[in-house]
Amino acid sequence: MMDLGTVKERAGPREFSPADDLPREYREAATRMIEFHANSEIMGAYLERPFIRQSPSIDRKLAFSAKVQDEIGHGQLLYRAAESLGVKTREEMLDDLANGDGKFLNCFHYPLESWVEVPMISFFVDGAAMRRQATLRRTSWEPYAHAMDKVCFEEGFHVKHGEDILKELMTGSRKEQQMTQEAFEEWWPRIIQFFGPTDDKSTHHDFASSVGLKQQSNDDLRNAFLDQYIPKARKYGLEIPDEPRIRERDDGTYAVEEDDLDWDEFFTIAKNEYEPGLGQINGRKHAQEAVDWVRETIERDTPAASGHEPQAAD
Amino acid sequence: MTTPDFSDPENLTARERQALECLIKRLADDEFVLAERYTEWQVRAPTLESDLALANNAQDELGHARLWYDVLGDHGYTERELVYERDPAEFRHSTIVELPFEEGDWADAVLRSYLCDVAEELRLEALEASSSPKIANRVAKIQQEESYHREHAQNWLERLAEGEEGHERLQAALDRLFPHALTIFEPCAPPHGENANKTNETSDDEPRATGSDVEADIVDFGLRTATLEELGEEWLAIVVPYLESLDLDVPESGQTGDGEFEFEVTQEMLPDERGRDGIHTDAWVDLYDDFTHTYRELGRSEPTKIMETPE
Repeated sequence: MMDLGTVKERAGPREFSPADDLPREYREAATRMIEFHANSEIMGAYLERPFIRQSPSIDRKLAFSAKVQDEIGHGQLLYRAAESLGVKTREEMLDDLANGDGKFLNCFHYPLESWVEVPMISFFVDGAAMRRQATLRRTSWEPYAHAMDKVCFEEGFHVKHGEDILKELMTGSRKEQQMTQEAFEEWWPRIIQFFGPTDDKSTHHDFASSVGLKQQSNDDLRNAFLDQYIPKARKYGLEIPDEPRIRERDDGTYAVEEDDLDWDEFFTIAKNEYEPGLGQINGRKHAQEAVDWVRETIERDTPAASGHEPQAAD
Repeated sequence: MTTPDFSDPENLTARERQALECLIKRLADDEFVLAERYTEWQVRAPTLESDLALANNAQDELGHARLWYDVLGDHGYTERELVYERDPAEFRHSTIVELPFEEGDWADAVLRSYLCDVAEELRLEALEASSSPKIANRVAKIQQEESYHREHAQNWLERLAEGEEGHERLQAALDRLFPHALTIFEPCAPPHGENANKTNETSDDEPRATGSDVEADIVDFGLRTATLEELGEEWLAIVVPYLESLDLDVPESGQTGDGEFEFEVTQEMLPDERGRDGIHTDAWVDLYDDFTHTYRELGRSEPTKIMETPE
């Protein structure tokens, strides 16, 4: 087995694959990171699914159904990349997610109640995700990096669609514009928290970065996001809320005043203890339990396949 | 009678127009509402793989609905009048597509898909040589996608039918869905305002839907080359033996004589709500309210177009 020192020495983009005999610490850290990512795809899709129906036109509905489908496809791909580390099976990860043990992005713990909130996810959160995912194409676990190629490609379309929804709302009636601004004010701090706490408070950062799993720090990603998305938000006529305070540096780049953000809420969410998020976890669990009987039928048919490979009837 | 020239929408008679519109609404409303129901399975299907597959079907049906509605663009209709601002009582889909799914009832999803997909295949065949070039031109693309849907549904049906719970659930779904499936072949009522006094007729002495003239026109004008009765017979000749091969009991199969499928739908076989006549189940009103929710909440007056012409 490769020792940790060698892992750190060799850690580079797409360096390790299932052919390598990697130490437990690496495999567990990579599993935790990819499982979190996969869970987030599923819970993001769960949050957005009511808006397939509530889309305000057939074109939007088609695009939104395809988007939700893509997120499930990303989940499938990422669980496979996580499974290839040999720590947990897909079923274990999906069960953990249903039981409230699986962790996922803070933004997907909040309720999504109106179409004006849709671009908060499909433009800003997805845009933030794109930034992070683009760096993960250079992660050291090759199957993860490979999954990111496809995910980034599709996510690009989602963000474009989200941007189009935002643009439509912000060029619509005064009422639409006001509702969208209100949604933005509510979501803005959560969107900034997408990148997690500042590097010195982040629990897993050092190790993940030393073995090449993580390519950029939370702070760098957050700042790069602000540089890109503050001008975009303004371009569509959104006003950036006063809080959290955002400092503009001399070179025109931005940084957020971390203390203005609600980190108690963030860590409550991180423990899966935030009320709306719990409702979403349990709602999804309930839906999964309702189709247990189908999964049992499939497993009885094909005990060896256990649902990994696409079945004749899926 | 000479076949009217449907390539020139400007020069159609009122009857010809009504026949075309009625046919399109049958087709498009079925696809649109079925797609709405299919999307309920997104992020709720039994496995990630089946989730992806059903989402595909939903998008295919939505794409077909958009293609069919677009045919009426020539007649000055837009998505606003056809979907988002149409009176829910003016929708002409069969009730089988509007019924909600009970949570977790995957047997319903695959059976309903099978029943609808077979009917869809047959009616597309009968549109291949439609006198409306706009209809005929759209058939091949839609057929390509539909054949895959039926295969998918059958794979699942065969799988579920083998298990005890699956078989029981399929039988329950069949008992519930079959009468509604028969409404696929019911005649359409014309829009309210035209014979409006008759559309709510509930007497058993005469057909409630008074659109049989329109239905006859659809065939006489060459828009569709088979009658509803012919389509229904063909449908029964396919689905009844197939479902029986899965050990399912088909309720009121309409079978008469020795293996010939005479399509004789009696009033008793049909549910109270038949959709085609504008009379829908309560579930339809809820569904309509939900899918128009954002449009109304934001006070929109035009559904957003992303694509200029549907593909």
